[in-house]
Amino acid sequence: MDGSIIADDPSALVDDRIDQGVFRVDRSVYTDEDIFGQEVQNIFEKCWIFLCHESQVANHGDYFWTEIGRQPVFVHRQEDDSLKCFINACSHRAAILTPFRRGNAKTLTCRFHGWSYKCSGACIGIKNEEPDTDRSHFDLREIASLDTYGGFVFGSLSADVPSLDDWLGEAKPWIDLMVAQSPGGLEVVPGSSTYAVDGNWKFQAENSVDGYHVSTVHRVFAHTIAMRESKGEYTGIKKTEAGRMAGGVPTGSYDLGNGHMAVWAQHTTPEVRPIWEAKERLEKELTPGQVEWILSKGRNLYIFPNVMLMDNPSTQIRVMKPHSANQVDISVYCVAPKGESDTARAGRLRKFEDFYLTAGMATSDDVAALEDTQEGSLATGAKWNEFSRGIGSIISGPDAAASQLGFSPTACAENWDFEIHYHGFYRQWLKMLKGD
Amino acid sequence: MSDLQQEVTNLIYRESTLLDRREWDDWISLYTEDAVYWVPSWANEEETTDDPELQLNLIYLRNRGGLEDRVFRIESRDSYASVPLDRTVHVVGNVLVQNENGDEVEATANCIIHTYGKKGGLTRGSLYDFKLRREDGVLKITQKKITFIDDRLEGPIDVYHL
Repeated sequence: MDGSIIADDPSALVDDRIDQGVFRVDRSVYTDEDIFGQEVQNIFEKCWIFLCHESQVANHGDYFWTEIGRQPVFVHRQEDDSLKCFINACSHRAAILTPFRRGNAKTLTCRFHGWSYKCSGACIGIKNEEPDTDRSHFDLREIASLDTYGGFVFGSLSADVPSLDDWLGEAKPWIDLMVAQSPGGLEVVPGSSTYAVDGNWKFQAENSVDGYHVSTVHRVFAHTIAMRESKGEYTGIKKTEAGRMAGGVPTGSYDLGNGHMAVWAQHTTPEVRPIWEAKERLEKELTPGQVEWILSKGRNLYIFPNVMLMDNPSTQIRVMKPHSANQVDISVYCVAPKGESDTARAGRLRKFEDFYLTAGMATSDDVAALEDTQEGSLATGAKWNEFSRGIGSIISGPDAAASQLGFSPTACAENWDFEIHYHGFYRQWLKMLKGD
Repeated sequence: MSDLQQEVTNLIYRESTLLDRREWDDWISLYTEDAVYWVPSWANEEETTDDPELQLNLIYLRNRGGLEDRVFRIESRDSYASVPLDRTVHVVGNVLVQNENGDEVEATANCIIHTYGKKGGLTRGSLYDFKLRREDGVLKITQKKITFIDDRLEGPIDVYHL
């Protein structure tokens, strides 16, 4: 034994004894750099990773630079409208090929020594080329797997992944609920925000589907909005459902399998949500269950390991890029139905800005809380984080709400205060960490 | 220095002083009731968003009530990100009157903001675009657009950080 937690026994990090009412996670999973290194290698470099939304690379030559684990990659829209994704490093001496995070270039020329590449990845130019050079030897390296679902683009450095359809599994009906909101699909609205969190990426994963914190951390948001509404000052900002914040509305949480998790809470005033204007069309095109879920249930979906899709106060893509055990960057985008009215779009954006940014009045409080949990996790003198709430009332298979929509969760709880959905997350995490 | 230049400079100095000294009610009173407070987000590395209605902003408050929301949240002592409250020092410079039209004045300024909080010290910068209006003889802020030059944001960003 070399004293490293990983070498000793990773299984000991998750105390999974639900038959005895116990589910706990060792706090070192949030702070240990050896564990983080294993996560990068065995999870982020082996999994399907969310890369971008296809509206962010709409036209031939559009590129989007992001990371898989710590490796820079870029998605590039091809001449035939397909997508390819390459390692974002010049084949010569590794300089990043895209000058911007997002841009358009039908040919990419390295700014270091001037090597150039076609959209297809073919190396087409080497400055002062020597005789008999085989340029094809220097074509860009495509990542092993790339696919899209509902306009969401995923890639993997590994060829040994299930099909994206199989991987997303029971998360798909949740994605469909967003995509179905416009016949033309979704688009990312111009503008975004990236914030650096001094905390482990798993705290962000947990927080995104943590109904239990809402009535404490976001109590002040609810009070602030109630104060605003009492003055009658909407000026176009739609009412927020204060009931959801305070508790007391129907809620639910799901372990969707493969580490995916989701929670929902009933909207008390669905008629003020931007999507309400599409009610009639939705009722014609979708099942009654889907319509009910779209209009009346605020939903947070976490797709293992790096992306969250929120349709709650507003509609959001939240992407995680972990840099170390103690640090993760989060980028947030407002995603919206193409073709919605300006009124709906403006309402959606104002709610987004109110709630979902570190310059807003809720996400800033979330980040402060999870940075506190990071610091607290150094307290290995008391080493367990508890995920036992709701163990006594786990529902295996679909509950009534899941049946209404038609998906089959691994486990449910008819209360988003419960923590049973994290069990699936940590089981998937442990399985991949161990390389099983 | 012209009287107007002096008056505008004093107003902008006063605003940052009131923010740093946490005199929230006096700070809000510098704004007209219909004042717009706008912090665009970055659309890419070089440009911010420019249509506040239909694009994403970091903050876009369309009347003084939006500022009152912020102060309510700070004063509630119930906001995780605002307890303990970060300390701030704003240093305003480059104040220039850009345009004057009757009771309406446009001005620009730069600001370096030093913040101290849980993350230690952070020094950041903002470009200010003001629209000012004289009401009952007193110059007030009717629009403040803040171009916050940081993109990857560290810590919470509230009205006193900008």
